[in-house]
Amino acid sequence: MRARSALRHFLDGWRVQKRVIHALMIRELHTRFGRDNIGFLWIMVEPLLFAGAVGALWTVVKGPQSHGMGIVAFVASGYIPLTFMRHSFSKAANVFVANGSLLYHRQIKITDFIFVRILIEAIGSMMAYVFLMLALYNFGLFPIPANPAMLIAGWSIYVLFVLSFCMIIAPLSEMSEVVEKFLPVSTYIAIPLSGTFNMASWLTPEARSYLLWSPLVSGMEMMRYGLFGSVVTPYYDVSRSVGISLVFLLIGLSLSRHVRRILVVQ
Amino acid sequence: MIICKDIHKKYRSGHLTKTVLRGVNFTINPTDRVGLLGRNGAGKSTLIKMIGGVEMPTSGAVTRSMTCSWPLGFHGAFQGSLTGYDNARFIARIYDKPYQEMREFVEEFTELGPQLRMPVKTYSSGMRARLAFSLSLAIDFDCYLIDEVIMVGDRNFQNKCRVEFFEKRKDRAIVLASHSAETIKKYCNRAIILHEGVATPYDDVGKAIKLYSKL
Repeated sequence: MRARSALRHFLDGWRVQKRVIHALMIRELHTRFGRDNIGFLWIMVEPLLFAGAVGALWTVVKGPQSHGMGIVAFVASGYIPLTFMRHSFSKAANVFVANGSLLYHRQIKITDFIFVRILIEAIGSMMAYVFLMLALYNFGLFPIPANPAMLIAGWSIYVLFVLSFCMIIAPLSEMSEVVEKFLPVSTYIAIPLSGTFNMASWLTPEARSYLLWSPLVSGMEMMRYGLFGSVVTPYYDVSRSVGISLVFLLIGLSLSRHVRRILVVQ
Repeated sequence: MIICKDIHKKYRSGHLTKTVLRGVNFTINPTDRVGLLGRNGAGKSTLIKMIGGVEMPTSGAVTRSMTCSWPLGFHGAFQGSLTGYDNARFIARIYDKPYQEMREFVEEFTELGPQLRMPVKTYSSGMRARLAFSLSLAIDFDCYLIDEVIMVGDRNFQNKCRVEFFEKRKDRAIVLASHSAETIKKYCNRAIILHEGVATPYDDVGKAIKLYSKL
């Protein structure tokens, strides 16, 4: 009996959660992109421009191939996840204050804000990735993914880590203003830890062993392996990456709980 | 019922700490019309936010066994950059109400016409109050939390509120925060005086108002 009422309780909660996430997604798309011209397709534009421009630049500087991979494909496959990460981190800071008016509705929880923002960023990045893949493939600049499952698994690990880290940034930015000030520069310095511009196999074994503590590197290695196949030698550690992300998620959730108690809503 | 049990609220800003509520206890029954009296800064809005779950008490607890609106006030609840219709759509989605019905009710109650297609930040406070009331009335809560805002409406709006709250919804509870004894006298059958962080309930509104005027 108790089990059944617990189940019903859970299902009710689940329904509310689905409704809230759905409503928040639409609201976020409206407020950020409006309804004019291409609307929420704007979300794809920045990663596309970045990946395209840097890819072109690298082709000029380093030639069309690097370690057996097409340089445009290499840059594009790194830059799209990177812009996802940087956007997500900067959007996570002060997310609670920016959305304070939503807290007037009790069914909306502060962690929903973070989840929705990351979800939108992730969907936009995936669309940009697919779009770029199709466009570049037509010019012979992008391979057909050798192992799509591996590509998706790597992306999932990447997204999971970014989400868990944002869950920490958001409440911390509320507790101390220093976080917001240091965020852009720390994200910039962290670029080598994201595996964007190099494969782990190009490094010394010692440097590699340190870098593999970053779930972003594991995720990126898996994505590149899924994309280019046996041309690359990937290094990754799934259980460590997931473990680190879950620990971060746990810390983030308890920080959020604390911050919710002291949050001042206008 | 809504039970407030031993609610304390402190705000901290840097090294400063301000204690707004120090042990507030009271119960709101299903048909109560509670007037919350207090001077500026006594903590009326703070208490209303605690009851509505917008902010959390530093210690103590609010237990709700009936549905309770968000605090209807000058601030909050709307996204200024979205239109009145978009806000209505959002509220309909999160409270699981059919949008069509809500839209019709909002159009009829607010009488804002084409203004509903404009961003809410372009609304006057009276227009905002109309929108807020129409949305929360469309959802149909057991208890309405009203923070001052009822006074900004014109006579037409006040009449509509009277019809909705005192003719159609006699069986609902209302908590009305105000420093105006006039308003409380008109709408309430119970009163709570909030003074120096403590709430004192009175069953006789006239007596409460007399005591309040001496504060």
